[in-house]
Amino acid sequence: MSKVKTHKVIGFRSTRLAIIFFIFIVLLSLQFGPYNQSQLANISTLLIAVLSITLLTGASGQISLGQGAIMAVGGYSSALLVTKLGLSMWVAFILAIFVSALFGLFLGLAAARLSGPYLAGTTLVMALAVPSIAIRFESLFGGDIGFSVDYGNPPSWLTNLIGEISIEEWSLYVALPFAALSLFAVLNLSNSRSGRTWRAVRDNEVAAALAGINIARTKVIAFVCASALAGLAGAIYGFRGLVGPSVYPTDLSLTLLTAAVIGGLRSIGGALFGTFVIVFLPDIIEKLTKNWAIPESIGNYLPALIIGLLLLITVIWNPRGSAGALEHIRHRRKH
Amino acid sequence: MGRFGRTRLIPWAGFLAYVKSAIERVNAVNLRKPLILTVVASALVGSLVMNGVSASAASDPGVSSTEIVLGMQLPQTGGASPGYNKIDDAARAYFDYVNSKGGVNGRSIKLVTKDDTYKAGVTINTAKQLINDDKIFAFFGSVGTQTHLSVVKDINRRGIPDLFVNSGYSGFYTDPKKYPNTFGGLGTYTVEAKILGKYIKEKYADKKIGLLYQSDDFGRNALAGLTASGLKFEAKKTAASFVSGTHGSIGLGTQIGQLKANGVDVVIIAAVSSATAVAYATAAALAYKPTKWAVISVGADSTTFQTILGARGTAPATSAALLAGTLTASHAPAAGDADDEYIKAFKKINDDFNKATGTGKTWDNNVLQGMNIAYLATSALMGVGKDLTRAKLVSYLQKNGAKLSSAAFSPLGYSATTHEAFTGFWLGEYDASLVLKPLDGKRVVYTTDSGNGPVTVSNYKRPAIAADALPKVA
Repeated sequence: MSKVKTHKVIGFRSTRLAIIFFIFIVLLSLQFGPYNQSQLANISTLLIAVLSITLLTGASGQISLGQGAIMAVGGYSSALLVTKLGLSMWVAFILAIFVSALFGLFLGLAAARLSGPYLAGTTLVMALAVPSIAIRFESLFGGDIGFSVDYGNPPSWLTNLIGEISIEEWSLYVALPFAALSLFAVLNLSNSRSGRTWRAVRDNEVAAALAGINIARTKVIAFVCASALAGLAGAIYGFRGLVGPSVYPTDLSLTLLTAAVIGGLRSIGGALFGTFVIVFLPDIIEKLTKNWAIPESIGNYLPALIIGLLLLITVIWNPRGSAGALEHIRHRRKH
Repeated sequence: MGRFGRTRLIPWAGFLAYVKSAIERVNAVNLRKPLILTVVASALVGSLVMNGVSASAASDPGVSSTEIVLGMQLPQTGGASPGYNKIDDAARAYFDYVNSKGGVNGRSIKLVTKDDTYKAGVTINTAKQLINDDKIFAFFGSVGTQTHLSVVKDINRRGIPDLFVNSGYSGFYTDPKKYPNTFGGLGTYTVEAKILGKYIKEKYADKKIGLLYQSDDFGRNALAGLTASGLKFEAKKTAASFVSGTHGSIGLGTQIGQLKANGVDVVIIAAVSSATAVAYATAAALAYKPTKWAVISVGADSTTFQTILGARGTAPATSAALLAGTLTASHAPAAGDADDEYIKAFKKINDDFNKATGTGKTWDNNVLQGMNIAYLATSALMGVGKDLTRAKLVSYLQKNGAKLSSAAFSPLGYSATTHEAFTGFWLGEYDASLVLKPLDGKRVVYTTDSGNGPVTVSNYKRPAIAADALPKVA
């Protein structure tokens, strides 16, 4: 009976947080102009991908430098389903989750035998290889040109309900429900038995095995769940305009990891904060460089430089990220 | 709140805490939670409705009685930026010159640029920024095929003019019903390859002809054009390809080695300038000396070629010797043609108005291209007249674009059936000082289309540039 109650509590709290997140983003979007609304759509999309790293690396301890490649799997599978089979975008998004999960299953089977730098290296190679595969098998994947796909126009039922909305608002309303559902799923997962099992494997594989946990299976399941999330993010990301190799470059994987590290690898809230940083910080820097009349030849490099420095500072002085820093401050105040 | 290990999941999320506390404060007055959610949702829907109602525009953005705002996205940083990153500064220099002469119909032209690093994922953001934050009137001179593919549909559905795109990809231009607002700024790769291919087929009929191309739209369009001209290539033997952007890391040793092993006498390159440089350096290292190198113009920029080889430690004299004798094509005068009247005028403007630092304002093909499309944009804006709207600009270009002149030795090909830019090219070879000289000392401009049309000699006479270097449009 108490077990059922616990599940209910977890479910209730996850639901509540996901709804709060949804409402907060919508309220925030109403304060913003169209460009920042599109940035909120980016945050909603990339948050799903960063959450996949939070699950995979933060919870289960498996380092991935190739989440961008799994995003590409989601993007290409959804684009193929829409352009070749004529499925609706929504159905394609859902099916992309399954295709990416299947990809994650195969990847996980290999990853279960690897750890540390070997796993990081393998996933990095994947990030490099997947866009090239799309070019190599041009007849199927469209080569460099890829697939021109987008969210289309908002449906009439929505415009009848809330009036005409901009393309940017529509992109937000496409991405946000998926982000809220992903947040709900990750919160549930992390608090469930699976989450506890992953953490046990992450902290000490031998101890976990002695406790009866199947290490390999646990790792594979983590890969499958993280890949499903990354694939969904990739599908939504691609439908902003194009599914093609340069939409999912290697540095996308590194940017996602940066967001997760800056926010705090083990923190779901940290994932959200990190995503805000990677999306909005370049815009803030651009505005500052304009105000201070910094030449383009310097200003264009500043966002990457500052985010890189933030990453270095985080890794060297504050490995637990913003979430860890705040936790530390709270802890000091209490004592 | 859930935990991963000892770390709280959302320990710092002040913004969520604020929302949460707000709901809790409402709870304190004993309202039931479902009711609160209903109230919040109603407020939300209400706000959305208000937001929707207020989102109407009275006139086209980016144009006022005093200013016209144009937007360009291009790689200003990153691996693809060398050379291309000079186009915006050159165009801005010409617009600044126009503004110094009173602007167009009393309006000054402002060019806003965004660095998309040649990644389509970034281009989507920079386009939204240009449209919504910078409120541009039109896109102008955007660089790159794949990057532009990611936004071209959106730009067209919003009805924004998309002028003089710096891509030779024919897919943007040959179906104006698909992209009615998009107009080319370069001749298509197919047209150029057809003209170059015809010459090579006739001139080197007894030689073995091979092709090195990057396996993207550029390479494929060029291959299609060369094949249409009657040249035949055999995969893995006389045709070697590589994934675009990988030339720096793979070095093209396999591809050049393949062409050498198959005894190719004339090597045609359809790749970007940095890849051309790598191909030449690799061939030199392999002691491979084909009878003739022929390069599609996008990959034959001498400044970029020398810069790339210079970064690898090759002395300028050595790199110049490598490129000298290369056969290529151009729609415009050679950047090094000091006697050309357009070159003289544009160079003077570049010297006086280009604010780029270092090598950014060094005169070359990229600077010429930036100046020339700025000249064309000024012509089009003048042609529309005082009552400037997006629809009128698009309509004007479609109806009258072919009458606009520029530094090019070919008119724009704009019509109701195609938005291709320059349909004519002349052929030349680099001399020892890397100035492109017409074959046999006489410039002959050939013209064709991106389809199966024949290659013929063009009878177009380029109008002279006015003394003040401003377009004269009726």
